[in-house]
Amino acid sequence: MSVKKFVVGCFDDEKVLFPAVTKVRKAGYKLQDVYTPFPVHGLDKAMGLRDTSLHTAGFIFGLIGTTTAVTFMSWVFTKDWPVNIGGKPHFALPAWIPITFELTVLCAAVGMVLTFCYICQLAPFIKKHHFHPRATDDLFVMVIECTSKTNEHELKNFLDAAGAIESNIQVVEDGWWIGRYDRDQQLYKEPIVA
Amino acid sequence: MIKQHFEASAGYRKWTLGLLAVGGLILVLGFIFLGLSKDEHSQTRFWAVLLQNSTYFLLVVNASMFFICVTCLALGGWQMAFRRVPEAISTLVPVFSGIALVIFLYLIFGPNHHIYHWTDKGHIEHDSILKGKSGFLNPWFFLIWSIVAMGMWSWAGAKMRQLSSEADERPMENDEAKNFHRRNTVWAAIFTVAFGLTVGSTIPWFWLMSIDAHWYSTMYSWYTFASTFVSGMALIALFVVYLKNRDYLEWVNQEHLQDLGKFMFAFTIFWTYLWYSQFMLIWYANIPEETIYFKVRMHGPYRAIFFLNLILNFVLPFLLLMTRGSKRNYTVMTFLAILIVFGHWLDFYQMVMPGALGEHYSLGWFEFGILALYAGLIMHFVGKALAKKPLVSVNHPLLKESIIHHA
Amino acid sequence: MSLTKYESQLREPLVDGKKTYHDVTVDIVHTIEAKPTRLWYIGFYVAVALLLFGVFSVYMEVVYGIGQWNVNRTIGWGWDITNFVWWVGIGHAGTLISAILLLFRQGWRTGVNRAAEAMTIFAVMCAGQFPIFHMGRVWMAFFTMPYPNTRGPLWPNFNSPLMWDVFAISTYFTVSLLFWYSGLIPDLATVRDRAKTKLRKYLYGIAAFGWTGSTKHWQRHESLSLVLAGLSTPLVLSVHTIVSFDFATSVVPGWHTTIFPPYFVAGAIFSGFAMVQTLMLIMRKVMGLQDYITLGHIEAMNKVIVLTGSIVGCAYLTELFMAWYSMVPYEQAAFFKFRIAGPYGWSYWLMMTCNVISPQLFWFRKLRRNIAFTFIMSIVVNIGMWFERFVIIVTSLYRDYLPSSWSPYYRPTIWEVGFYLGTFGLFFTCFFLFAKYFPVIAIAEIKAVLKTSGESYKDEMAPLEVMSTEKFAHEMLHHDEHHREGDVHVVHHDKH
Repeated sequence: MSVKKFVVGCFDDEKVLFPAVTKVRKAGYKLQDVYTPFPVHGLDKAMGLRDTSLHTAGFIFGLIGTTTAVTFMSWVFTKDWPVNIGGKPHFALPAWIPITFELTVLCAAVGMVLTFCYICQLAPFIKKHHFHPRATDDLFVMVIECTSKTNEHELKNFLDAAGAIESNIQVVEDGWWIGRYDRDQQLYKEPIVA
Repeated sequence: MIKQHFEASAGYRKWTLGLLAVGGLILVLGFIFLGLSKDEHSQTRFWAVLLQNSTYFLLVVNASMFFICVTCLALGGWQMAFRRVPEAISTLVPVFSGIALVIFLYLIFGPNHHIYHWTDKGHIEHDSILKGKSGFLNPWFFLIWSIVAMGMWSWAGAKMRQLSSEADERPMENDEAKNFHRRNTVWAAIFTVAFGLTVGSTIPWFWLMSIDAHWYSTMYSWYTFASTFVSGMALIALFVVYLKNRDYLEWVNQEHLQDLGKFMFAFTIFWTYLWYSQFMLIWYANIPEETIYFKVRMHGPYRAIFFLNLILNFVLPFLLLMTRGSKRNYTVMTFLAILIVFGHWLDFYQMVMPGALGEHYSLGWFEFGILALYAGLIMHFVGKALAKKPLVSVNHPLLKESIIHHA
Repeated sequence: MSLTKYESQLREPLVDGKKTYHDVTVDIVHTIEAKPTRLWYIGFYVAVALLLFGVFSVYMEVVYGIGQWNVNRTIGWGWDITNFVWWVGIGHAGTLISAILLLFRQGWRTGVNRAAEAMTIFAVMCAGQFPIFHMGRVWMAFFTMPYPNTRGPLWPNFNSPLMWDVFAISTYFTVSLLFWYSGLIPDLATVRDRAKTKLRKYLYGIAAFGWTGSTKHWQRHESLSLVLAGLSTPLVLSVHTIVSFDFATSVVPGWHTTIFPPYFVAGAIFSGFAMVQTLMLIMRKVMGLQDYITLGHIEAMNKVIVLTGSIVGCAYLTELFMAWYSMVPYEQAAFFKFRIAGPYGWSYWLMMTCNVISPQLFWFRKLRRNIAFTFIMSIVVNIGMWFERFVIIVTSLYRDYLPSSWSPYYRPTIWEVGFYLGTFGLFFTCFFLFAKYFPVIAIAEIKAVLKTSGESYKDEMAPLEVMSTEKFAHEMLHHDEHHREGDVHVVHHDKH
C-alpha cells in the first residue's frame, strides 16, 4: 500500500475508449487500469493484458475432487469396512460415479471462486479507492499512474484530446485495505485538481 | 476473390475412386466367399456387416440435416458460413436409405434369421415372448415404417435444401427475410418432429434393438441418436477442415471450428452420460433378462471392444477436446473427428454383432472393406453435392452474423 | 474485436425503448431504492403466513412422528417425495438458463437469468426440506455425512442412490449459489455506488466485496462465469439424473426403466421454465420491467416449453410401449392396469393432458406471444409436472406384488398439505425479499448486449444490413485485424 498520483479520464463511449487506450499505450504512459460498468469485449486485449489462467486452476481443483472421492470410497469399501451391498463387488465403480462427479464439480467450483476472490482481492469489508462513482454505472474510467517523469497536466490534456468527457488528477491510496463504504472514501485529504 | 464453387481436386478424386474400388472389390469378394457360403456364420457375417454400416452411416448423414434444422429453430447464426457442408452431406440420406432398404428387404423376407430372429415364423411359434411382440416386430410393419421414415427425412431435407438455394439469388428486403426465415422454421420443425418420431423412438427399436429380440431398454433410441449425432458433427467438421485447407470457405475461421469442437465435446459427454445411465441402471438392478445384453459384451468375447468403445468415444475426445486451443487446431480436430466417426462405427459394431453372431464374430478384411466402401461413397456423393451449389449462400439473412462470429 | 456492432434484423430487440447505459441502471435499481408497493407487502405477508403454517406442520410431524402423515404401507413415499422431486425439478431452470443457454449463445437469457437463478436456489432450499423431514428422526440427519464416528466406524452407503442425492443436492445448491452470487457482485457494486443512506452504503458495501470494475477483474470474472457455466451444465443434468436413479435403480415395475435419467432432466427443465414464466410475467408487470423482459423473451421460453414438453411426451409413450414390448407381466400390469386405469387413473390422464397435450398449443405463434394464455399454461404445466411425480411414486407403490399388500386409497393429511404449502411460503418469502433487495435483472449483462440488441441501436445497423456481403466481410474482417492485436508498439518516451 502506498499513496500514488493518478490521472483519470472518463469516457462514455466504447468507440472513443478503444482508440484512446491505443493512443495512451503508444505514448508510453503507464496505464494502471480501465474501470468499466460491464465487461467490454476485447478491452483486455486492447490494453495488452495477458489471458487469465483461472480455468487451469479450476481443472486442478476438479482433479483434486475426483481423486479424493475415488480414493476415499475405495478405501472405505475395500479396506476399512467392506460390506456386501446387494451382492455387488466391493470395488463397485459404476455406483461411485455420481458421487465422484459431484465432488469434482464441487471442488472445481468452490476452488475457482475462492481463487477468483483471492486474486482480485474481493471479500466483505475490503475497500479500495474508487476513481469515479459512475464507473459502475455508465462511464469507462481510464486511470494512468504518474511516474516521476510524468507531467500530469500535459497528460490530462492528452486524455481530453483523446475524447475524455471528464478528467482529473487524484492522489490516493493504491491497493486495498479493510474498510467500510459508509465512511468517506477519501483517505488522503489532498484536494482533487479538477 | 472467393472460391465459391467446389471442384474435386485430382487427389480427392483419386482417393474417392480408390476407396470405392477397394470397397467394391471387397463387397464382391465378401458376397462370393461369405454371402454365398454354405457356412451360416459367414453368411450372417456378410449381412450383419452390411446392416451395421448401412444403418450407422444413414443415421450419421441424417444427423447433418438434424443439425441444420435445430440450429434454424434456435435462430443460430454462427453455422451459416459453412452450412452448405451439412447440406451436402444430407443429400446422402436418400442414397443410403435406398441401400439400407435393399439390405432390410433381404433380412426380413430372406432365409437368414440369425440377425432378426423374430422373422423366423417357425421359431416364433415356440417363443411366447416373440409371439407377443409380433404386433410390432413383423416384417410389414418394419418395412412400411422404415420406408415412411426414410421418405420423411429425404423429403423434408430436400425442402430445406431447396429453401436454402433461394438465398443464393438476390439480397432480401427485411420483410422478405422474415418470411424466408419463417418458411425455413416451418420445414425445420416438420423435419425435427419427424426425426423425433423416428430416430428418437421407433427406428432404432426396429433396426437395431430387435437384433436382441428379447431384450429391451427404453433408453436405446436416445442412445443411438447421441451416438450418430456426435459422429454427424465430426463428419461435418472433417469436411469443413478439408475445404478450409483447400482455400474454400473463406469466411470460416477458427471461431467456427471451435464451436464445432464444442458440439463434438458436449455430445461426447452426452453420449457417455446416456451410455452410463443405461449401463449402470441395468447393472444395478441386476435383472437377468436385462443384464444378458451386457453379459455377452462385457464378460464375453466382446470385452476388448466394450472397453475400447469407452476409450475411443469418451476418454480420448473428452481429454483432447477440453482446451480451447485444441478445438481451434485443424490437425487435432481432424484427428478427433476421424477418431469419433470410427469410434461410433465400432459402437454400432458392438450393438449389432453380439446378437447376430455371438462368439463367431470377426473384425477383419470384410468389415474394414465395407467401411472403406462407405467412406468412398460419402466422399463421392458429398463432393458431387458440394460442386453443385455455391459453397456459401451469400444472401442468407443470418450469414453476416456468421462472418463476425466469435466463439 | 470489432467496434461496429451488428446482429441480424431477424432478431427481435432484447431491450425495448431508447435506452442509455444510465437508463438501464436506473430502471433496474430504482425498485431497490424505492419503498415497496402495497402489493409487495400483501404478497410478502401472505408468503410469511404460509411459511408459518408450514413451520407448524413440520413441528407436528417432528414432535408426533411420521404417523402424522398418511404415508403408509406400501406407499412409503407420498406427498413428501413428490414435492421434493417437483421442487428440485423447478430448481433446474435457473442454472439451465444461465449455463446451457450461455453456452448455446441464446442472447435472450440475459433478461431472465438473474431471477431464474434466484428462483433455482429457493426451489432447491424448498426441495431439501422434504427428504430431511422424511427421515423422521430429523435430529439424526447428520448421519448422512461421511465423518469418522463411534458407530463402527460405520460409513454411509456410497452405493445408495439416496446417498448420491445428498451429494448431488448439496453440491447443486452450493454451486448455484456461487454462480448466482459471483454474477451479482458487480451489480451490487452498482447499487452500492448509488446508495444514498448510510446503512445501505454499509450493507451493499459489504455485499459487493469491494468490486471496482477493473478490466483485469472483468476478464477473470468472465472466465469464471464461463467455467462455472461449463461445470453447471453437466451438474444440472446430474442432479435430476440422480433423483431419477432413486427410482430407476430399484426393481419396482414402473420405476426401473433406463430412459428415466434424460427424461427426468427434460421434465425438470419443462417445469422449471413454466415456473420462471409464472414469476416473470408477474414480476415484469409489478416492477415495470416490460422493456427488459419482452414478448420476445416470453416467446423464447414458450418454445423451450413446447420442446421439452414434447420430449417428455416422447418418453411417456416410450415407457408405455416398452412396458408392453418387454412382455414382462409386472411391467404391463404396472402401466396398463395400475397406472392408466385403476383408482389413480385420473392422475395419469391429468398428467398427460397438462404436460403433453396442452403445451402443443404453443406451436402457434399467436398463443406463444399471448401473455394471459402463457400465464395459464405455466400454471397448468406445473400442475401437470406435480402429477407426473405423483403418478410415478404412488401408482407404482399402491399395489405390491401380493394383493394382501395393496394399499387403501392414499389421501394426504392436513400436515402433509401444510408442509407443502409451507414450502410455497418459504419460496415466495425468499423471492419477495430478493425482488426488493437485489437487482432482479443482471445489469452489467444487459449493458453488455445493449448496443447490439437494444431496440434503438438497431437502426444504426441498417446500413450494414443492406451492404453486400462481400463488402461487409471485407470491412469487418479488415477492421478486425486492426484491433485484434493487443500488442501496440509502445514508444518509450514518457513526456517531460
